Amino acid sequence: MKLLAMRYRVLIAVAVAVVVTIVAVVAASTTRQGTALSIAFDLAGACVLVMSVPGIKASHPVVSRAALTLLGLDVAIFLTFLFSSSTNFNLATGAAMSIVLLGLSFLTGASGQISLGNGAFMGVGAFAMAIWANHHSTTPIVLTLLIAVACGALVGLLLGLPATRLRGPYLAGMTLAFAVAFTFILSSFSSWTGGDSGLQLPTAAVAPRWLVDFFQAGTDPLKTTTLYITDVAIVVAGVAFFFMANLFSSRTGRSMRLIRDNDVAAELVGVSLPRTRVVAFIVSSAYAALGGALLTLIDNSVSPQTYSFALSVTILSLIVIGGIGTISGALIGGVIYAFSTNFITWLTNQTGLNPQGNLASQLNGIIFGGLLILTMLFAPFGITGAARHLWHRMRTRSPR
Amino acid sequence: MDPFLTSRIVTDVLGGLTNGVTYGLVALSLVLIWRSTGILNFAQGAMPMFATYLGFALLSYHFGYWPCVVACVIAALLIGGLTERLLVRRLYGKPEINPIVVMVGFLIVLEAVAAAIWSSTPRSLPSPFSTIHWQLAGKPFALSPFTVYEIATALVVMLAVAALFRFTNLGLQLRASALAPEVSRLLGVRVGRLLTLGWMLSTAVGVITAILVSANFFSGLTPTVMDGIFAYGFIAAAIGGLESPVGAITAGVLLGVVNQFVTDFVNQNAVIIIALGILVVSLMARPSGVFTKSTQRRV
Repeated sequence: MKLLAMRYRVLIAVAVAVVVTIVAVVAASTTRQGTALSIAFDLAGACVLVMSVPGIKASHPVVSRAALTLLGLDVAIFLTFLFSSSTNFNLATGAAMSIVLLGLSFLTGASGQISLGNGAFMGVGAFAMAIWANHHSTTPIVLTLLIAVACGALVGLLLGLPATRLRGPYLAGMTLAFAVAFTFILSSFSSWTGGDSGLQLPTAAVAPRWLVDFFQAGTDPLKTTTLYITDVAIVVAGVAFFFMANLFSSRTGRSMRLIRDNDVAAELVGVSLPRTRVVAFIVSSAYAALGGALLTLIDNSVSPQTYSFALSVTILSLIVIGGIGTISGALIGGVIYAFSTNFITWLTNQTGLNPQGNLASQLNGIIFGGLLILTMLFAPFGITGAARHLWHRMRTRSPR
Repeated sequence: MDPFLTSRIVTDVLGGLTNGVTYGLVALSLVLIWRSTGILNFAQGAMPMFATYLGFALLSYHFGYWPCVVACVIAALLIGGLTERLLVRRLYGKPEINPIVVMVGFLIVLEAVAAAIWSSTPRSLPSPFSTIHWQLAGKPFALSPFTVYEIATALVVMLAVAALFRFTNLGLQLRASALAPEVSRLLGVRVGRLLTLGWMLSTAVGVITAILVSANFFSGLTPTVMDGIFAYGFIAAAIGGLESPVGAITAGVLLGVVNQFVTDFVNQNAVIIIALGILVVSLMARPSGVFTKSTQRRV
């Protein structure tokens, strides 16, 4: 049985290799688009090949995860070339949000704690990015993003220090107070943060030359710029997911899960409780800051109204619906966020509600709040948990 | 030299006291639920807000202030009881984050539904007493008839809750079922019923706060009127210790006074930042609250 499965995999791998080579040869021959297409197919094929090596998941987990990440990035970037600009824009915000969700998922999944202030940590990153870019406009994007992440981590450390000694609801309440306070903090430093109107980035991100050349001359520059920003967001998200997947299964990640399940047992086997909790909190706020900074880059501006308490609640709803404590939950939550506005508009049109009416403007809160309650009551691990449950049942029921 | 009673310090202390009692009431209602069910109710601001909207809907049928207040309390009792029976009862014994998440969801739904029904434009509630401040020798004094009514009501509610827990048979049962639910059940206490009652009581305390707050503040009654008050109430309850009603009320009143001084001597924006700082520092110094004895955890 096992041998058969192995042969089966080898067969698939060979078939994929053949198809990839054919496509590559056909496509690489002619145009620039053809070359790109063949590279994309080759990369996907190589990733599938690597992942289909028997036993690689156990022997080289990092390689297998890297292959999965590359495959995901490859497919996602390929798709962005097919989508319209507005879809791409939604995808970019979704990618930024999924990074934030990943941080919160890690905090809860790893330490059993919950934060109601991740919207504010996002704001820290978003404003750090905008402020830095306004003072040093020549810094490369990657460096500015890293500075924003560092700011998020620093604020996370400040708030995380008391968190090491807090259990359950105290941390949630304290982060809630931070989320409520954040808009006031912003207006206290209005000479830096631009007050109510927020900040603009001094130079809008523009697609590099080679990407513009890729399209026919005369293509709308908005299209190429949106595409470029979307792909940057997707790549950053991919890197963030790759790091997090490794962190989850590292020694730190394992000791965090032990703390979640039994903190006394964790201390008995020598895990430092305060240190691990602070690390979880810092990682979560750094991820939130990265997401916020990306959002600034995507929107080209930042406004204090975005980072109200409501955003923290939205983040919580998304990750709970996706599956809290899981990596795929963050991805699902990000996709939901990307298309939620479109969905609500569609729903308003379908039901014939007055778009300016009271009910239509509150649909978002009613739907997300209701889903939050229902998910927690009936499927505490969200869509990911439900899917795993179904998969498990199908596996155990089928005859061997 | 100012006359003493209209000096800046006294004005700040009295003004702070007026706000502080509302924080103290919210903190008290949080502690009531925390002690009996071990849940931090994040909808503790939204449930009373909803009840206030329901009760003051009677205004459009030409009822006066006091019938509306009675209606608010009845609505609060109903909302509190129903919430416990239909929602909270499923959460006992679950991991810590489940009730937090569900109550946050309930908060969003209540605020969104309230805004959908009554819109988010503020509505002003009638006030039973004049809100114009008294004058002393030509200078405004910190109190008005309404603020005196506010402080007095808060004191009456706090004393009533204390008396209920200390002197009545019902209070004894409530304390017993919070302290040792299994033992109480064996001794014939209807623990389930008492938990429902605890939530009703706490929402009723909350609705008094909501009525006072939405009549007093310039903001009027809005779906989010209790958000800020809830944050301060939580900060007070956390500083005082979620286990200690007296600590929560004391911390609430002190927080109100501190806030007033910060508003007066620094600025409005600094208030919540300073309050957050106090919370962080006090939690680092005494994680389970300033007014509670530290307890050992049994493994």
